[in-house]
Amino acid sequence: MRSLATALAVGVEVALILLLVSLSSGMLRENSKRISGVGADIVLQPPNSSLVLAASTGAMSVKIADLVSRIEKVRAVAPVYLQLNTSGGLGLVWGIDLESFDRITQGFIYLEGRGFQGPNDVIIDDIYAEGRELRLGDEVKLMNHAFHVAGIVEHGKGSRVFIPIGTMQELVGTPRQATLMLITCHQPSDIPQVTAELERRLKSYPVFDMSSFAAQVEEANRDFGPIKFFTNTVVFIATLIGFFIIFLSMYTATTERTHEIGILKSLGANQGYISLLFLKEALMLGGLGFLLGLGLTFGGRLFFQWLMPTLHHQLPLWWLLFTGFLALFSAGLGALYPALRAARQDPIEALAYE
Amino acid sequence: MKTILEAIELTKIFKTGKIEVAAVQEVSLKVREGEFIAIMGPSGCGKSTLLHLLGGLSTPTSGRVLVDGEEVSSGKDAVRTDIRRRKIGFVFQRFNLLPTLSAQGNLEIAQEIHRNGSRNRKHVEEILNLLGLEKKTHHKPSELSGGEQQRLAIARAVINRPAILLADEPTGNLDTRNSMVVLKMIQELNRALSQTILMITHNPEAASIANRLIEMRDGRIVSQQQDGEWNRAEDRMSL
Repeated sequence: MRSLATALAVGVEVALILLLVSLSSGMLRENSKRISGVGADIVLQPPNSSLVLAASTGAMSVKIADLVSRIEKVRAVAPVYLQLNTSGGLGLVWGIDLESFDRITQGFIYLEGRGFQGPNDVIIDDIYAEGRELRLGDEVKLMNHAFHVAGIVEHGKGSRVFIPIGTMQELVGTPRQATLMLITCHQPSDIPQVTAELERRLKSYPVFDMSSFAAQVEEANRDFGPIKFFTNTVVFIATLIGFFIIFLSMYTATTERTHEIGILKSLGANQGYISLLFLKEALMLGGLGFLLGLGLTFGGRLFFQWLMPTLHHQLPLWWLLFTGFLALFSAGLGALYPALRAARQDPIEALAYE
Repeated sequence: MKTILEAIELTKIFKTGKIEVAAVQEVSLKVREGEFIAIMGPSGCGKSTLLHLLGGLSTPTSGRVLVDGEEVSSGKDAVRTDIRRRKIGFVFQRFNLLPTLSAQGNLEIAQEIHRNGSRNRKHVEEILNLLGLEKKTHHKPSELSGGEQQRLAIARAVINRPAILLADEPTGNLDTRNSMVVLKMIQELNRALSQTILMITHNPEAASIANRLIEMRDGRIVSQQQDGEWNRAEDRMSL
C-alpha cells in the first residue's frame, strides 16, 4: 500500500510537470499556427519591439501603412494593434481594420453573424465561442470594456478575439498607432525584394518573413524570462517533492526491514548488495510512478479539454524523456541515504530488531 | 585433521556508560574439519556472543578468529562479510527466513549472495525434495510449520557448502517432535556430508549428538568433553 501511494505521489509529480509543459507548449504552438494562418507574407514591427507579442510595448504610426503600400510589388498592408487582455481570462486581443485585414487574410469565414457594425463589436472564433458558450449579441468584457459579439468566425487567423483598431487605440490611449503591419506581396517570389526595400526605408524596424516570424515568436515566448522561470520553478519543486516522498518511503522501508537486513548480512550480503536492493526498489517505484504519471497526464489533458476546449496541448518528446529521467533521478537520489544507512546496519543489532 | 575454525584468546567486553561487562573472556578453541561441537551453558554465559564472534557478526575486544585460515576478527565489515559469505552458514533459533520470499526464494537468495548473482534452480529443487518440501516450494515461511521453517533455514545455511555451520539454539523454538527431526537433519549433515558444525544449545539431548561438548560459564570455557567421555548419543536418545 505504501509502495503504491509512493508511486502515485511520484506520478503526481510527473503529471504536474507534463501537464504544465503540455499546456504551455500547446498554447505556444497553437498561437504560432494562428499567426501563420493570417496569410501575410511579411511582418513589420516597430523599433524596440519584442517577439513576445504579449509583452511588446513598441508601437508605430498607422501612417507607415501608406508608406509601405506604395512600395512596388506590395499587394496589401494591414495595421494591427495587439493587446494582452486580462479581464475574463488571459489572451491576446487583436485590434484590426477589418477592410485591410480581410485583404491580407482573404476574409474571415463567418459561421454566424458578420463583421463589425459598431465600435463596440467583437469578432470571435468558433473555439472561443464554444469555450465560453457565447452567441451572437452576447456581451463580452475585454480590457474592462463591454463588447457585443457581432460575428463568429472559423478559427485560425491570428487571434481568437478581434475588435476595431480604433476602439483598441482609444482604450489603450495610443491613437493612430499599431504594433504590427501585416504585408502581402503580389507573388511569393516578390518577398525578398519587398523585405529588402522595407529594411532600406525603415532601418530600425524589424522585418520578418512570415514563415520564420511564427517560429521565432514561438521560440521567444518559450524563452521568455517569466515563463521560463515559472516552468523551471515548477519542475524543480515537483522534483524536490518526488525526492522527499521517495526518501521518506525508503527510510521507513529500511527501518521496517531492519531484521531482514540482518538476515541478509548473516548470509554474507555486502553493503553494495543491500544498497542496490533498496536503490532498485526506489527506481522501480520511480518507474511505476512515471507510468502512473503518464496516465494522469493524459487523463488530465482530457479533463482540461472538456473543461476548456480552447486550450491546446502539445507534449514534446524530449520533455517526456526528461520527466522520465527526473522521476528516476529523484527516486534514486531519495533512496541513496536510506540505502546506505541500511547497508551499514550492525548485523547483530539488525537481527535482534523486532 | 585440518583446523577449520580457531579462536585465540578471544575476549569481548560490552560497555554501557562506565560499566564494562566481559561477555567472553580469553576463550581459545580449535574446531577440526568434520567435527560436531555442542556448546552448553546457562543463559548469559556468553554462548551467543561467542558464536557471533566466531561467525564474524561482531568483532572481539581482543583475540583472533581464523576460519579456514582467514582472519574473520578484523575490524573491517567488508572483510568479515566476505568470509561469512564464502565460509560460514548460520542457523538461528528464530529461523530468520525472509518473510516475503517463498521457500524456493529463500534458498535462491542464499545462492545469489554466495555466487554474486547466479542461481541454480535445479539444485534448489533437489534440496527442497530432500527436505520433503517439494509441495511447498512457493509457500511463504508463514505458511510453513516451525519444523519446516527450521529445516528450510538449515538447508539455506548449507546450500553453498560452507566450511562451518554455526547453529544458535536451532531447536529452541520447536516442539519435541520437530526438534527430533531438525536434530536428525543436523546429525545427517555431519555424518553423511562431513559438515563441520558448532551448535549452541540448552538441551542436553541435543548436545548428546555432538562429538565434543564444551561447557561455558561467565564467559569462559570451563570444560570440554570428547565423544565417549559422556554417554554416547545413541544410548541417550534415539533419533
